[in-house]
Amino acid sequence: MTPELEEVLRGLERATAFAKSYRFEMTEDYLQLIAQVEAMPRNQPGTDKSYVWRAQRAYKESFKNVRLLPREP
Amino acid sequence: MTDPFVPLARALAARGVRYVLIGVSGANFYAPSGGARFVTEDYDLFLPLDARNLVNAWAACDDLGLELWLSNEPLDKPRDKWLADHIVERRAVTRVTGPEALQVDFTLVMKGFEFGTVWNEHRVFLTGGVQVPTARLVHIVTSKQAAGRLKDNLFLATHHDALEQLLKKPD
Repeated sequence: MTPELEEVLRGLERATAFAKSYRFEMTEDYLQLIAQVEAMPRNQPGTDKSYVWRAQRAYKESFKNVRLLPREP
Repeated sequence: MTDPFVPLARALAARGVRYVLIGVSGANFYAPSGGARFVTEDYDLFLPLDARNLVNAWAACDDLGLELWLSNEPLDKPRDKWLADHIVERRAVTRVTGPEALQVDFTLVMKGFEFGTVWNEHRVFLTGGVQVPTARLVHIVTSKQAAGRLKDNLFLATHHDALEQLLKKPD
């Protein structure tokens, strides 16, 4: 195993350990942002949200032609 | 192409089914821009502890020829009140699958909330011309925080970060 690959695997292990131990704390700051979002004109009752699914579909479609390029030296 | 959830939302409305859209799909309806929107394939619908309402929800699925599942097994027939009573008693999730990778969960539990609380403050949005009762964003994120699963924690951290970047003006 190359040192580069070993470092990548160690990084993944660290990220996994962090994710497992992480606990999100609700803050006043976050709740204020949520209130701001709920108050937006585009989020009032009766708003047409058809664009949400269309945007998600377009986003996923954009990955169809993705191909992995070899890393440049 | 239209959202595969739209025909089901229409059928649920036709049968008078009470539900609110929750989860990531519900949060996505509030996204101020693509920056705070998350890719998800499924819809989580929160239903009251009402067997008749659940029977009507199943019937709406049958109307459309959708598949119904309980713990990876096809939901038994007849899909009547007797069966619904048992599902309600166990607070079990029934899953709906259909064309275009449609996946919808009928859940009877929203961590930290009773149905009535969420229903009383829900908002109605439209998609494909159909009304979709949607939980308030504050209820969705509060429930996710209460659930505390790994995927919920990561969603909340990313969501908070995205909203900060989009809404907070630079100093």
